[in-house]
Amino acid sequence: MAGRSDAGSAIGDRIDAITAYFRSRPRLRTLVVAGPPYAVLVLFFAIPLLVMLVVSFQTSEIGGPWTLSNYTNFLTSETYLTVVWQTLVISLQVTAIIAVVGYALAYSIVRFSRRTTLLLLLVILPFWTSYIIRMYAWINILQSDGVLDSTLNLFGLPAVGLLYSQPAVLIGFTYVWLPLAILPFYASLTNLDPDLIEASKDLGAGPIRTFTSVTLPMTKNGVITGLILTFIPTFGSFITPRLLGGTNNIMIGMVIENQFKSAFNWPFGAAIGMVISVVVVALLILATRFGGGLFGQRSQGGAEA
Amino acid sequence: MSLLHVSGLTKEFGDLVAVDDVDFDVEDGEFVSILGPSGSGKSTVLRMVAGFEEPTAGTIALEGEEIVGKPPFERDVNMVFQDLALFPHLTVAENIGYGLKQQGVPKAERRERSERMLEMVRLEGYGDRTPAELSGGEQQRVALARALVNEPALVLFDEPLSSLDRKLRQHMQTELQRIQTETDTTFLYVTHDQEVALAVSDRLIVLNDGGTQQIGTVEDLYEDPASRFVADFIGDVNTVTGRVTDLDDDRALIDAGTGEIPVPRTAIAADVAAGDDVDVCVRPYQVSLRDAATTETDATDAFASTGTVLSRSYQGSDSLYDVDTDAWGTVSAEVREDAFRNGEDVTVTWAPEHVHVYRRDDEDRPDGGETEDRPDGGETEDE
Repeated sequence: MAGRSDAGSAIGDRIDAITAYFRSRPRLRTLVVAGPPYAVLVLFFAIPLLVMLVVSFQTSEIGGPWTLSNYTNFLTSETYLTVVWQTLVISLQVTAIIAVVGYALAYSIVRFSRRTTLLLLLVILPFWTSYIIRMYAWINILQSDGVLDSTLNLFGLPAVGLLYSQPAVLIGFTYVWLPLAILPFYASLTNLDPDLIEASKDLGAGPIRTFTSVTLPMTKNGVITGLILTFIPTFGSFITPRLLGGTNNIMIGMVIENQFKSAFNWPFGAAIGMVISVVVVALLILATRFGGGLFGQRSQGGAEA
Repeated sequence: MSLLHVSGLTKEFGDLVAVDDVDFDVEDGEFVSILGPSGSGKSTVLRMVAGFEEPTAGTIALEGEEIVGKPPFERDVNMVFQDLALFPHLTVAENIGYGLKQQGVPKAERRERSERMLEMVRLEGYGDRTPAELSGGEQQRVALARALVNEPALVLFDEPLSSLDRKLRQHMQTELQRIQTETDTTFLYVTHDQEVALAVSDRLIVLNDGGTQQIGTVEDLYEDPASRFVADFIGDVNTVTGRVTDLDDDRALIDAGTGEIPVPRTAIAADVAAGDDVDVCVRPYQVSLRDAATTETDATDAFASTGTVLSRSYQGSDSLYDVDTDAWGTVSAEVREDAFRNGEDVTVTWAPEHVHVYRRDDEDRPDGGETEDRPDGGETEDE
């Protein structure tokens, strides 16, 4: 380039040369830009998954003969299928609770609050504390004669001793995943043009009709994203049900963990993991079909169409 | 009985008086515009009529019935929003049918009435598209159809044309007038754009700093502005400063730096007293130019000053000259002759019967203090 100093032009020329080199090789350019993330995905996701798939077709020890028995054992065992069913029920219950509580919270933060940033910060704050510590705090609250019971006693109410029950597990999950779900709810609600709410009311729709025909449909993508972020980790969870649910609330994640850590039956654990992954991915695809796009990449109104 | 009767309407946001004791009526079938600069309170007035804001004081009666306190969805008015606020998740037909659906109109009738409305706004066959697939002008038409299909007593407009380019805006103005006539609906239109307001309205309400400046037909406001603000805001005006040296029932003597000139009392605002400093306003088309060499400048029956032509712009049938006068600085003159050249010496004159004289009041001018800056809402324009 004409106006540059000598040193500058030397570097400039090299940059120009490199730019020209990549410009004439579009495939190489794509590889350089997209390569690293793909490499990470392949190395830490695809290969382990493949290893797990291979292991799941082996008999009790790795390197042994091939077999389908891990799958048949799992899919024909009433005990394990009951656990899967129980896991599904708990996950759906948690998702439903978070949908209602989280949406109400996000809605009130957006619509009625001036201190939005502060409230959002408070919502995210628990993430700064270790998950395990928070779970032990809940044990402290929920156990018989714990914080909850003594508070109830203060008001002359009977103790409930919730620890090691299904409600305790639901409370724990709701507490843990609520912040994760509120963020997409909040994002979609702030993107909602308040004029649309006014237009709906102006056209004769009361608050409830306005909510069901404008607010909810317009924030559908955010809601589905939030619910997926809740459902998937709940389905695979094993720490929360172990600590808060005791032995009566077995979830499939605990079974898988057990196969790897205590029973040392890796192939069986891998097989259960594969089945569960397939089920969850199937549910995900169903949800995206239903909801118009995971993480909102299919925008409202078809602007790209 | 007026279709819309607004009386003593006041809205305070904390210390700020956004709307200050506004009264006006809108008659059935009228096209009325509320015109004012930004911050004048015009949108707040509209939002109170629509039901999105509750007045601090005052009444709003629609067809004789008080509507203050009623929620927006129970008022027989529909609004065309500034950003249109079309529902992006619904089709054009569903957008238009939204209001009818809330009223419980059956689906078949909804579709039929939506289609008739689309025809009215000349968008036949657009029903199945989404708003995002339409151009800006087409979206305007859908927003209008969505309001009109409900056959409200009154349609409110919150500057919906401001986002369009000039040509499209002018086209939509004519369309608005046609549709208003065809549907026989009453329109209340808020805008800061005097061009739009003058073009479409039967009557204008001029607001400034939350208060009514003047209400009248376009001709009233142009020919007989009630304040310097209105004179300045509606059309162009020259303002020179002067002092009233004498005042009686027939005329005043005004000294604008070129000697005392008798001005008819009818041209002088009612609150002007002898000794007051005043603004003397005159429209550019009332100003005449003469060759300086052939006229005498010491006329005592007309405002006159010598000056130099600064610029000339050709405007079709007229030419607009800016003249640097010795007595008053720059004065604009809109005249038929185009004989004058830049730098030429001329005499600027206008007849005393063409002026409007207002008491000098710095708060009164459009380029003066913004509403938001007013330290105290209690201060009125008189002191």
